[in-house]
Formats: sequence, structure tokens, C-alpha cells
Amino acid sequence: MGADPVAEVTGERPIGVAIVDDHPVVVDGVRAWLATEPRLTVLATGDDPDEVLRAAPDADVVLLDLRLHGRMALGKLAELSAAGRRVVVYSEHTDPETMLAALDAGAVAFLAKHEGREHCVATVLAAASDRPYVPPALAGAMVGDPRPDRPMLSDKEREALLLWFQSMSKASVARRMQISEHTVKQYVDRARIKYTRAGRPAATKAALLARAIEDGLVRPEEIGIYRSHATYDRPTP
Amino acid sequence: MSADLGAPAERTGAPEAPLWSPVPLLQPGPTSVPGPRTPTPSVALAAAPAAAVAHASDRGARIAAVAIALAWHVAIGLPAVLAARADYAAPGVVLGGWVLVAVAGAVAGVRLLLGAALAPWPLAGLLLAVDAAVFAAVGERQLFAAANWVWGTLAWFFVLALWGRQVAGLVALLAAHALIALVAVLWHGPDTADLARYVMYAYGTSSLPVAVFAGSAAIVGLARQRAATAAAGHAIAAERAAAERGLRERRDRLTLAAAAAGRVLGELAAGQADPDDPEVQRRCVLAAARLRRLIAESDDVPDPLLHELRAAADLAERNGLPIDLVTIGSPPPLPVEIRRGLADPLTGLLADAQEWARLTVVSGPDEVVVSLVTPDRAGPESTGPPPGEHDDGPVQHLYERDGDIRWAQTRWRK
Repeated sequence: MGADPVAEVTGERPIGVAIVDDHPVVVDGVRAWLATEPRLTVLATGDDPDEVLRAAPDADVVLLDLRLHGRMALGKLAELSAAGRRVVVYSEHTDPETMLAALDAGAVAFLAKHEGREHCVATVLAAASDRPYVPPALAGAMVGDPRPDRPMLSDKEREALLLWFQSMSKASVARRMQISEHTVKQYVDRARIKYTRAGRPAATKAALLARAIEDGLVRPEEIGIYRSHATYDRPTP
Repeated sequence: MSADLGAPAERTGAPEAPLWSPVPLLQPGPTSVPGPRTPTPSVALAAAPAAAVAHASDRGARIAAVAIALAWHVAIGLPAVLAARADYAAPGVVLGGWVLVAVAGAVAGVRLLLGAALAPWPLAGLLLAVDAAVFAAVGERQLFAAANWVWGTLAWFFVLALWGRQVAGLVALLAAHALIALVAVLWHGPDTADLARYVMYAYGTSSLPVAVFAGSAAIVGLARQRAATAAAGHAIAAERAAAERGLRERRDRLTLAAAAAGRVLGELAAGQADPDDPEVQRRCVLAAARLRRLIAESDDVPDPLLHELRAAADLAERNGLPIDLVTIGSPPPLPVEIRRGLADPLTGLLADAQEWARLTVVSGPDEVVVSLVTPDRAGPESTGPPPGEHDDGPVQHLYERDGDIRWAQTRWRK
């Protein structure tokens, strides 16, 4: 899955994760997934976001099931994101509208529940350092975004998203596009960063953007005027 | 076990179910559902029958107009002309005019009934010329008599000439007709009674043709509107029926899928099945994939392309292949050959797939991309098409194998 996104920021302290889900079996499953990664530690779990965060106020990443007790928690997601909480939404509701609505509300990432351990761990690690991670299902939602005010993606970014969604293998996408895996990841991540401009502002979006500039993924002058830079296609070094 | 369409596949089982094992048996792809369908353009569907109804309604009015014009010309005009032929200033002109209008009117009437095009303005010019000639030729004594046949008849031929056009044209022709009559009346030095008679004749002979002309146009318009409304209603009813059928089919398949999943879960819970048994794991994967596909179906009315792909996926799955079908967006209406070009190569390859398959469809208003990814098997390319790109009409095909995956993609761009 490309370069290790968190090597330089984790330090000694492991990344604290809070899991909010109303199904104990899912909590146990996710906990088991995360346990395979030594840099991650689960601090609290439960079915109420407020209670879980009271128990673990220092959690770096919140894994939030979007559907809690039969209701979509988009409002709660927006509230947490506005407060600067890095929320990774994971849900079985993988219709594109729901995924894009979660991004608009400030989710750092959206993970489909069946996308598996590898994507789950990668997403949480990336989120902890305010870096984007786009699992295939989310790539599909972005490439098929029908909204008229959707962020303008370049042809290469669209193609990378589409092929990543289709194949679920960045190595295969790289071979197909005749570029490096690193460049594939850059195209995909840049598309994701453009989505920080969609929906209402949130502290998490600002953090993603700031980190993307710091990493050289996007340039400061590109920010805010994405439309006019839509054809800018050259990957950053 | 309960399973409704809103429940996640992973939660349909008991906690012991291996679907949530830390290491997934298989890394299946995301399922997704298409966005809300844009409403079917019922108005477009309704246009054709509405036009047919309007045409039928218009035909009745045409027959009436042709019958009135010709019957009046022959039954009332002709006897009066023949009776008064000795009293005309120029009998040959009046009679000749009558014959000319009869011939032109008959030709126009036949063409109108056959739906053939008329040359309205040359015909109108001819009628006005006859009008002027007859007014000049009838003489003062016959000016207001029935023998001056142009008074009563000509307006009906104007109606034929301008059928289906704006009523303003007819009014203009009638105005010209009234002007010619006025010149003739003034020429003969009228008294007040003649002027009054003139106004009465002009009004009396014009009002009815205008009413018939405008009335028939309004009726045709109304008929078209009603037919369009009815057709739109039928289209909605058909759509609803299709949606209900789709829902019923989905429920049936859910029942089947739930039963399969329930069996394996039940055996696991009862300890009859061993979670480490590869065959049990395979059954779990298949049941989960099937449930996930069902949950992902949310299109109200089955799209033909998605329907074909789903059918192919179901078939492959019945043969034991775990398959994910993920659709994003709704395909626009596509001609059948494009749909074939998109689906057939992939459904063909699907029959040959082993281990797992991932079928995706990304649709926008002007692009549809279908992709099939399966693991690449060792050995020579036995059944697959040669790698590379080629175009099949408007659909671009792409095949690739890179040692990890076999990748087939079909792409249509407007």
C-alpha cells in the first residue's frame, strides 16, 4: 500500500483508537484486526460516541459506525470533525451518496465494513497522521460522483481512482498506467485532498490539507482555486 | 435467522460465525449501490401516442371541413350560378371561376385527407384572384344575391388552404376577401342599405369558418394533451409494475440467499461444521457475497445492463465462484448493441473465472465502464482474448494479465 505514512510521526506513543459501534461482534472483529498492528492500541469501545470519548479523551482516531441504533450518525460525525476529532467512518452503507456525505461532514476516511483488515489498519494509520487513505469503495464513489459541484479531478486522477476501484491493486494500476505505485497513490490522494473543499469546513479537513501541503502532495497556490487547476496533472516530486 | 435488505451481510450470523475472523477468508471488494435513478422521461414516451391521437382527432375535423366546403360549393353555389347565368355581367368569368375553385378545392380536399402537403399561399392567391374576378363579373344586380357564390363558399376554401396553420393567416385572407367585396360594393355606388348589407354579409360569411378553424385546432390540441397525460400515466404504471416485479424477485432471491447463509451458520452454531474446514469457509464466503450483492441492489427499475450483469454474476456464483458486483451510478439508456458490447465479453470471461471475481460498473450520463478482475492463473492463455486494446464500434475493449490479475474492461463513451 505504498510508503509507510506514519513512520515519522508516531514516536514512541502508540496511536490510540476509539471504536464506536452498537454491535459487540463488530467491535471484537475490528479490535482483532487492529491488534495485528503494534503501533495501534484500542483505548475504548462502546455504542455511544460521547461516552467512548469521555473514557478515552486522548484517542487519536475514532472509528465510527455510521449507523448507530438504527440511525445515521452524520450529525454526530460533523460535530466530532468540527471539534478536530479524526473520525474514520466505517459502515456497511456503501452507497456513493452516503460515502460522499461522510466526507463532506468531515470524516477523514470512509471504510466499507467488508474491505478487510489491511484497508482498516492502513486507513487508521493514515488518519492518525492527517494523511488521506482512499479504500477502493471510496475511490468508486469519488470517481462516480454525479454532483454538479463536485471537485474537479484531472484525467489522470480520475483514471487512477477508477482503476484502483476496479482492481483493488495499486501495483496493477501502476502497470496499467505505466507509472510507479507511488505516483498512483499520489493521484488517488490528491483527488481525496480536493474533496476537503467539498461540504462544510471542518478542523479535520484543514488538517488533511495542511499535511498534504507539508508533504508536497498539493501546492499552496492550488488551494482554493482547484477548478482552474483542474488540468494540472504532473505528480509532485 | 432474520434478514432484511437493510441489514449488513456480516451481521446476519451468530457471533461465532467466521465471517468476522481477524483474517478474512477472502478480501472481497466493496459493494455499493447505484445512486437514485433519474426519472424516466415519461413525456418523451408519451409523445408518440399523443401525436397519434391528435392525428386521429384532426382527421375528423379535416373530413368535416372538406365536406362543408365542397357540399356548399356544389349544392348551394352551383344551382344559384346556373339559375342566374343570364343576369351576370360576364357569365363566362363567374362560371369559369366556379369551375376553377371546384377543381382546386377538390384537389386540395383530397390532398388534405391523404395528409399530403398543400401549397397554401399559391392556393390562397388563386382563390383571391377568382374572388376579385367574380365580384367584378357578377354585376350590380347579383352583387348580394346567392348567385354571387363567392360570398358563401370561398371562406370555406380558405379554411382548407390554410388547414393546420395559425388562425391569423385565415383572418388575413378573410380581410382581403372583405376588402375585395368592399371595393366591388363601392364601385357600384352603394346606398346605406347596401353598406349595411355588406357588413352583414362579410361578418356572416366569415364568422363560421373562423369558428370551425379555431375550434378544430383547439380540439386537436386538447386531444394531444389528454393523450399525453394518459400515456404518461401508463408509463408511470408500467414503471411501478417493473419496480414491484424487481422487488419481488429481489425478495425471492434474498429468501434463497438467507436460507443458504442460515444453513451454514446453523451448522456452525451447532458445532456440526468446522470453521477451519476450507469447504465451510467457502460456503461462508459464497453466502456473504450473495447477501452483499442483494443488499447492494437498490435501483428502482432494473436497468437492462445491470440486470444482464447480475444474471451473469448469479450464474457464476451458482457454479461456486465468489463474486462481487459493485455498481456506481445508473447507466443511461443504451442501444442493445452497445449494451452487448459492454457486457458480453465480460460475462464470457466470467464463465472461465476461478477462485474469485470482481465485477464493477461505473456509469455516468456519457460514460459507462465495466470491469472484470479475476486472479491470473498460471499457464498459457487458453480461452481468453489476446491482451491489448481494441475497439468494437463505440465500445472500447481492454484485456490484460499481469501475473496477479486478469483484467478485462469495456468502456463506452458518448
